Amino acid sequence: MNAASCNGCDIEILAALTPRYDAERLGVELVPSPRHADVLLVTGVTNPMMRDRLKTVYEQMPEPRHVVAIGACALGGGVMKDCYGAGSGIDSIVPVDLYIPGCPPRPEAIIYGILKLVLGAPPDPVPDGEAIVK
Amino acid sequence: MSEPEGNSKQSEAGAGLMQYSAEGMMPFGPVHPSLKEPEYFKLYLEGEKIVQVVPRIGYVHRGIERAAQERTWVKNIYLFERICGICSFHHSLSYTEGVEALAPFEIPRRAQYLRELVAEFERIHSHLLWLGLLGHWAGFDTLFMWIWKDREHILDLEEAISGNRVNKSYTTLGGVRNDLPDNLAEKSRTEVNYLEKRAEYYKSLVQSEETLSVRTKGRGRISQETARKLCPVGPLLRCTGIARDIRDEDPYAAYGDVPPQVQTENDGDIASLMTLRLNEVTDSCRMVKETLEKMPSGPFRVNFPRSVPAGESTFHVEAPRGELFYFVKSAGGSVPERVKVRTSTMANILTATEMLKGHTLADVPVVLTGMDPCFGCMDRVAVVDVDKSREWTIGGEELRRYGIEYYRRK
Amino acid sequence: MSSEELTTLATRLGGTLTPGPRSTVLAVPPDRVIDACTAVSSMPGWYHLSTITGVDLGENIALLYHFWQGRRFVQVRTQVPKSAPRLKSISGVMAAGTLYEAEIQDLLGVAFEGNPFLGKKLFLPDTYPPDAPPPLRKDSDPHKIRKMMELE
Repeated sequence: MNAASCNGCDIEILAALTPRYDAERLGVELVPSPRHADVLLVTGVTNPMMRDRLKTVYEQMPEPRHVVAIGACALGGGVMKDCYGAGSGIDSIVPVDLYIPGCPPRPEAIIYGILKLVLGAPPDPVPDGEAIVK
Repeated sequence: MSEPEGNSKQSEAGAGLMQYSAEGMMPFGPVHPSLKEPEYFKLYLEGEKIVQVVPRIGYVHRGIERAAQERTWVKNIYLFERICGICSFHHSLSYTEGVEALAPFEIPRRAQYLRELVAEFERIHSHLLWLGLLGHWAGFDTLFMWIWKDREHILDLEEAISGNRVNKSYTTLGGVRNDLPDNLAEKSRTEVNYLEKRAEYYKSLVQSEETLSVRTKGRGRISQETARKLCPVGPLLRCTGIARDIRDEDPYAAYGDVPPQVQTENDGDIASLMTLRLNEVTDSCRMVKETLEKMPSGPFRVNFPRSVPAGESTFHVEAPRGELFYFVKSAGGSVPERVKVRTSTMANILTATEMLKGHTLADVPVVLTGMDPCFGCMDRVAVVDVDKSREWTIGGEELRRYGIEYYRRK
Repeated sequence: MSSEELTTLATRLGGTLTPGPRSTVLAVPPDRVIDACTAVSSMPGWYHLSTITGVDLGENIALLYHFWQGRRFVQVRTQVPKSAPRLKSISGVMAAGTLYEAEIQDLLGVAFEGNPFLGKKLFLPDTYPPDAPPPLRKDSDPHKIRKMMELE
């Protein structure tokens, strides 16, 4: 969910689904509605227009549900920290399970973060660089 | 704000180009990058046809212009480049060149060439991103996946030269932050040669592939007259046959030495936008090679004073989406007195509303993407059925699937 | 249009012409802005309206209408006092200016009579504190605004 972001993070999330990074082989799929989602990825500074929307989207998710804050803006405002339209991190609106820092974080970092959340532990690094999912 | 009842919907639709009303919209989804203002659209339908379109913007209004007045000149580069993740370099470029115009000395030639190099990288990446997304919205996900895979080649180059794939912070006041390593010049040539071939392939694909042509030919047509009235910018302007490009009319960076070949198309529809943008990708590849060939030696950066001399500067660049306008006012201090940004999509919104009129709901995803919007607009639209005085909202994904099914049945 | 023609226009409208390296500034009183914009945009070569900028100058608010012709900028400039920040909208004759004026309405509190967004918000959130000054005014304090909107 784009809660008022420049969308740098959003295009890296999308890039994580494209062939070079291919999060889909790990079972990660973008769904159109919060009612079908297990995990909510949130980017952006949550300006006043988006705060209630974020809460509503979170409440529409069936349990068990998780929230991942992606990018410096969602973590704590990022470079927009003291702009009059910028919030100070999404964890003041919804509970956050995982934070992925970066501006924007690389697709690999996003996949790593999601796997960490889903597996409960960081995926094992393998010498030739390919992650193995247990 | 409460909604008017009954037949007043008709008067609401007819009473002027812009009638604003609040709605419980939920734009979400990472589909499009956003500027200051991602938005949703309120569509007024009569039968199946859209008769009026009212945008509601402000979902990403963050207060950047005000914040800029409290940050130093250099810190503002990092702020402005995060207005938009896709044309981020052009934001920082327009800002730095605008500020440098207030200073009484020249920026090194090598720095200008390097700026042009990265600007063209960004144009290639942005146009490819757009075409991939257009494919996704039209139901052609294979195209999306292939193009975004090819786009990674440019992102590799951008990362190699600046350290970041998206918010590059490559330009700075007085020049650029890093020099171009020798091996990177060779790698750049290899990659753009590859991308040139891919652009040619995609051009033949989009012109022949029926899934795309049935949804883009004749869709979203704008006339030259509309263009003159509503002042759109960028490819949206050039696809009507008007050959205007800021890199050509008002050269900045090194565009005086390595100018673009301004591309135009004449049909003014989405199909011609696809061809136009792919032609621009090919031209950008040519410019990358020429820039590398003509790159002068010398310093890539000079010291820039902490306080900028007082004055006003009006600067614009040709971002991938069109003219990006910056107005900078200095009172002689270490922070700007006023910076005004007018993004390309802002200039195109009125034209986009015209583009949608006369189309059906099924066409909305493709036509709206056609203007290469910089917002999460696609994620929610509100639909008003004027005859039945009914109003409902529809999600972006629903709209996309509706469009695909509609054309499959045809 | 040549500099002579612009100078004649300036005199006719009761304003002044200031050539500059990038922008030629045509300063006119607020009630002649529409005439100036119409004259400039009907010059040969099609003047494209790039945007309209508002600047808080302290006592007054300056409004800059930036026109780009293909080789240079012509800037139609006027000032309205903060005590009475109103003037006529050009959206009737130049639809392209509609959203730019709406932005200034939101961010600087200038009223463009005839603009379809007058009295409504284009950008600013609905929860923007009504007793806070418009955000781009010099006397506005972003930190206070954030507190008022509970963003801290």
